[in-house]
Amino acid sequence: MTSAARVSPPAGNTGNVIRDSALGIVPETLDHYLALNAAIWDAGPLGAAEVELARLRNARHTGCVLCQAVRYDVAIADGLTEDKVQVIRGDDPAAGLSERERLIVAFVDQYNLDPGGIPGHLQQALLAAFREDELLHLSLLVAWFNGSSRCAVALGGMPEAMPRLEISVPR
Amino acid sequence: MNWIAANADREQTMGRLPGIGVQFQRLYASFYRLPQLPPEIVEMCRLRLAQLHRSEADFALEEYPLASDRREQLQHWHRAASFSAGERACLELAEVYAMDCGAVTDAQADAVKEHFGEAGLVALLQALGVFDGFIRLGLIWRAAPVGGRQHD
Repeated sequence: MTSAARVSPPAGNTGNVIRDSALGIVPETLDHYLALNAAIWDAGPLGAAEVELARLRNARHTGCVLCQAVRYDVAIADGLTEDKVQVIRGDDPAAGLSERERLIVAFVDQYNLDPGGIPGHLQQALLAAFREDELLHLSLLVAWFNGSSRCAVALGGMPEAMPRLEISVPR
Repeated sequence: MNWIAANADREQTMGRLPGIGVQFQRLYASFYRLPQLPPEIVEMCRLRLAQLHRSEADFALEEYPLASDRREQLQHWHRAASFSAGERACLELAEVYAMDCGAVTDAQADAVKEHFGEAGLVALLQALGVFDGFIRLGLIWRAAPVGGRQHD
């Protein structure tokens, strides 16, 4: 993994972590990025703790150190504990998770590893545990966080490790 | 067959959660209106991702018109003389990104920046992330994409 950032962030400090990142140098997409990111947290039926669970599991796949270090305050307020985060980040996510949480992890893993090969039994289990709007929210948030996380990795400058960093959803 | 929303295509499925789906589609569309990257290159990279995911339905879409011979040569762009240096830089980065975003090298990123600047590199990586996401959603939902229009 590279140690140097490949792009310079914009000058100035707005206090918004997305505007102040390398993404800020493409103004044509910036507002769309911010609107979509906010919608992921605000406009879907899943609670913030489940959104964060999926986001963190996805970050494990992409290898984004920053994404794995971040905790969104809304998810903590919604009940996501650090013990659960460590389970999600581990190799055996079946332990200590509810059925819904295990299925979220299974969906994220399937999306990352073999989206076209989703087995019938996983489809049926997801349909039994989630409403249609919840499955759509889960799908779209995984697609969003996967793409933005992979973008962050490919832009370089990722440290080897980072301490836990609690932030608010940038708006 | 779409197992979440029966008989719905990918875009219709996204539209069933409009608060998010519409925002996603707006971001997707914005990549074809960038001053930093020609839309032809954006489309080439989307099509190359579709090939690497083996999504014939995504490859059949035409979000921006490309000459038929360019489409046909895309899988073997390394050997085709018709692709410019800037196009090659973006296609090479797209291929590596598709396999492992952490494997992109400084030289590959620099090659894109040489032609399209730092903003071009950021825009390309943003676009690749969203295109890859749309393709994966179509695959995991088993929902055919409809996009702009079908290529003839």
